[in-house]
Amino acid sequence: MTGKERILTALALRQPDRVPLYIHGINEAPIIGIGRHLTDGLPEPKLFHEMDPAEKMKLLDTLFLLHEEFGVDGFTSFEIGHEVEVDAEHVKDDWGILYTRSHHGLPVAKGHPVTNAADLEAYRPPEPSRSHLLLLDMGRERFAGAKALFWLMRGTFVRSWRLIGMENYMINLRADPVFLHRVAQMVENYNLQQLELLAEAGLDVLVVEDDIAGTDHPLIAPRHFAEFVEPYNRSLVERAHALGLKVVRHSDGNLWSLMDTLLASGYDGLNPLEPQADMGLEKVKDSVGDKICLLGNIDCRDLLPDGTPEQVDEAVRQAIGDAAGGGGYILCDSNSLHPGVNPENCIAMFEATRKYGVYDAA
Amino acid sequence: MDLSSIKQPVLDGDAQATVAAATEAVAAGVSPSAILTEALIPAMEEVGNLFACGEYFVPELLMAARAMSAAVEVLRPSLVTSGYEAAGTVVIGTVQGDLHDIGKRLVAMMLEGSGFDVVDLGTDVAPEQFIAAARDSGAAIIALSALLSTTLPAMQSTVEALRAAALGDTVRVIVGGAPVTDEFARRIGADGYAPDAPGAAALARRLVRVGGEAAVN
Repeated sequence: MTGKERILTALALRQPDRVPLYIHGINEAPIIGIGRHLTDGLPEPKLFHEMDPAEKMKLLDTLFLLHEEFGVDGFTSFEIGHEVEVDAEHVKDDWGILYTRSHHGLPVAKGHPVTNAADLEAYRPPEPSRSHLLLLDMGRERFAGAKALFWLMRGTFVRSWRLIGMENYMINLRADPVFLHRVAQMVENYNLQQLELLAEAGLDVLVVEDDIAGTDHPLIAPRHFAEFVEPYNRSLVERAHALGLKVVRHSDGNLWSLMDTLLASGYDGLNPLEPQADMGLEKVKDSVGDKICLLGNIDCRDLLPDGTPEQVDEAVRQAIGDAAGGGGYILCDSNSLHPGVNPENCIAMFEATRKYGVYDAA
Repeated sequence: MDLSSIKQPVLDGDAQATVAAATEAVAAGVSPSAILTEALIPAMEEVGNLFACGEYFVPELLMAARAMSAAVEVLRPSLVTSGYEAAGTVVIGTVQGDLHDIGKRLVAMMLEGSGFDVVDLGTDVAPEQFIAAARDSGAAIIALSALLSTTLPAMQSTVEALRAAALGDTVRVIVGGAPVTDEFARRIGADGYAPDAPGAAALARRLVRVGGEAAVN
């Protein structure tokens, strides 16, 4: 099987030839740290925007290379070119949201262009741009059908709160629900338009990335989630399926109280299954493994930063034992390969997946 | 007067009704400190319990904290003249390199709801800023937040800097945030850890009650 076939088979809840391997997200530092095992000439770890054009090209090439050399079966792409630099510390995206750059992960939304219904009246959302899909185009050309192409699309909750502010969102659940619904509809329209572009560009798997939960509970009540968030994400699932795509739902945290609503949306896969948030694979597989493919759970909070390669090897063996039986499991870390992970442990995760992930021919 | 008429609007997150009930209680002769300690603070404790058991979520916590805060603003002049003393001062901030705010703000609100004065230093706070603010405010507690596992080392170095600054034997350092655990708190020498905002408020109350005894389990 090709990596693409492997991923799509698992997402269809069937058993591929071996357990697929996926990277949901990866920062510059681990690309460089892992890449040093494969190639020379990489810069010291720094943020992408701090690199010169040659370093950026080298980083991207290394990202592709590590997918090839370590047998990662899916390639994650996301929007680029939609932000402009405001100053050395800040960027603004095409929605007008201001972000502060961070050396410890993704930029953090700090400035919100819409605060109330009156602002929304005057606000004009961006049009999805074909040129922002460049990373998907590069992946498609590089891998030529050998790997499944994933796209990270911000879902209704994350886009909405970034646009209007988290606290403002929370308060308006009661103060002005009509405003929140209108924001959500605007986000949905944008995402649906972008989805058409993505399907034309050869996408295989849409990832609705919409963090909604903390370690113990959802951030908002399940009834609010069912009213203000999921209906708008569900329309993405329906359209993506009509376009022949698979859809994975990503959310950090403990999702148990939202699970019925999530399953009703018809997602093909669920990611990232944080072990610290009671999303242990054995429990999740037993509970919903016959309804949705599981992607994730290799602990990136403690194990990948501070564990040993031997411990990672054992965790992968355990994960495959817990979740891969009969198919429907894609091995992946429990959120992202962030700047704090140990590159040696990432390699141990890749290699252990090959070692333990072969299904018996029977 | 039945003080439940003040507690219920806090539980409902209704600022206007909370202020109205508190104002009515003052007019009826109830002392502002009694309104605070017998109605508003217990109401926030109940909000914390409802959050812990999964009946309330972040929005309900925010609304309740805002309702309480609005009532405290109305009571503040009378509280000052009556000599009411806060439970203590907490200096709070997200550690250097970490830009995340919402969890820390929730903790600050819950601390205020528990009767503490709070000095919120914001996000990306350097150790020396924590030290200066603690000295200036006479803080009983310094609360450190981090959302990212990559900023946990900054939490550790901040605790070390606070210890080296010799702020006094009674000043306690508490930590929290998604990647923080009880074990990590113990390892870096913090005096306490709480998994969520209501837990942080309860921890702070416990620490000032027991005179600063370490509360890492």
